[in-house]
Amino acid sequence: MTIATTEFVGLAKATALSQGVADGCFVTVPHPMGMVPLADIREKAEKAFPEILKAAIDWKPVAKLPPKKPVYPAGRLELKGTVADVNRQLYALGFSLGLPVIPPTPESVAAMLKGTSRKPDELLGMVPPRMGALTVELVAIHAVMAGCKPEYMPVLIAAAEALLDPKANARGATTTTATTSTLVIVNGPIVDEIGIASRQGAAGKSHHANASIGYAIKLVAVMVGGSRPPSPDKSTLGGPGDFVCWMFGENQDALPKGWEPFHVDRGFKKSDSVVTVMGIYPPVDNIDHWSVTPEEHVNWWSHLVTPLLSIGGPAWITQMDQPHIVGLGPEHAQLLAGAGWNKDQFRKAFWEKARIPLSAWPKGSPNLDLLIKRFGPVTPETPIPITFKPEDFLIVIAGGSGKHSHFFAPFPGCFPVSRLVRK
Amino acid sequence: MKIFRNWKIAVILLVGPVLFAIPDTTLSKEVNQSWEILNPEGAIKIEPMEINPHPASLEGKTVLLRWNGKHNGDKFLDRVAELLAQKVKGIKIIKSWEVASETVDPITGSQERSMELMKKLAAFKPDLVIGSQAD
Repeated sequence: MTIATTEFVGLAKATALSQGVADGCFVTVPHPMGMVPLADIREKAEKAFPEILKAAIDWKPVAKLPPKKPVYPAGRLELKGTVADVNRQLYALGFSLGLPVIPPTPESVAAMLKGTSRKPDELLGMVPPRMGALTVELVAIHAVMAGCKPEYMPVLIAAAEALLDPKANARGATTTTATTSTLVIVNGPIVDEIGIASRQGAAGKSHHANASIGYAIKLVAVMVGGSRPPSPDKSTLGGPGDFVCWMFGENQDALPKGWEPFHVDRGFKKSDSVVTVMGIYPPVDNIDHWSVTPEEHVNWWSHLVTPLLSIGGPAWITQMDQPHIVGLGPEHAQLLAGAGWNKDQFRKAFWEKARIPLSAWPKGSPNLDLLIKRFGPVTPETPIPITFKPEDFLIVIAGGSGKHSHFFAPFPGCFPVSRLVRK
Repeated sequence: MKIFRNWKIAVILLVGPVLFAIPDTTLSKEVNQSWEILNPEGAIKIEPMEINPHPASLEGKTVLLRWNGKHNGDKFLDRVAELLAQKVKGIKIIKSWEVASETVDPITGSQERSMELMKKLAAFKPDLVIGSQAD
């Protein structure tokens, strides 16, 4: 039996359904449960108790799972009107994010499929929370809708495969109350081959490949994955990252001498084309126009990053075991490398400085006891690091000129997942 | 001047009907086009999972209360435990957070992790599990 609040029972039911439970036993209590006084919680329990007791012995499943449908080929829709009309109809059907899409006709999807040697009926996996079966054909449909070119398909498929890896925790990142998005980093020859932006403003506007691939990934997440608000997407506010991914190629040309590219650090060959994805909170921009030594820079940045506690960071202790991605701006990377620092030196210095006093955690946090056990004996002033070990700061050279770097904290349970791009 | 005016009239007479005769294909297509579109949603692929039937009575049974770590979920279940103990004879109540603190994990992150936690709780052989999702 699951007890959920009025605001979250929809997510609980959708989650149960996605696990194969068509008709779970739910008792609903008025929202909220968190951040209310003890007396109110006890009263809620007392009011719900008769229903809890009844459901404990009376409940029987009634509903059945919907009948299975073939995952390939995709079904057809007959629509009429202008492109704008079709967009309105697709929106009404839940088949757009509210932004324009290009109608995916059989002809345009067939043309898109020419960008890959993969068979259209190949099943890549099921996209949570809806557990929609993602075929290569379906990827092509969304690529058309987002305005991708056929040559983007291999990158899009690799990103989809990475996001379907359980380590990516797509379910958590797309159903949470937090504002989240997907970080997509591309390395290797494919970056220049298809024109993925990797320099000035790479993760921003006016870069066709980044924008359309990033948009297509979000279309897949919402339509195939079903993560629409108000449920099962429970985003309290949401944001632009719900429409398009944070996507860029690593600026490998700006790598300081002796520093390996991101994908090589992750075990791939330099000549490989690789896509890496990670579910993230909104990144934090490190603005540093002033430091002239690595020590100054690290000191300043670590103090900027520690407020991450409020947007995730180590809010849940499980995150402290997860890699965080440090998107070093080329100029900041040169500052470090110019003083003879390598990536490991930066990681260690940053890890030692970027800490939060134990007293910052609210008393109600379930992590407090765990932190005390892990770092004890402690005082309220004991500095707690963002991650358990410095190796969990992964470094990528991100963007072009300017004095900015970006810190990408993972959503709980979201690990970076990398996949080779296969044409 | 007269020639010039006649020339203009001639152009209008010749081109005018042609212009009016050209169907506004762009506009007419925009208004009336039928579209065959591939459904972008895809089929659901879920393997069914059966839930064990609930016991006919809780008397003498073991009920496991599962808290996922969200604020106040444990306090809610504490009160449920008190009421169950008052109302049901011989009931045995296990609180997950007391017997298996490692299962207090609000964001398990993956199905693998969820299954791991579920197996740990199943080891207590409860007749019924009551979970509080909170938020």
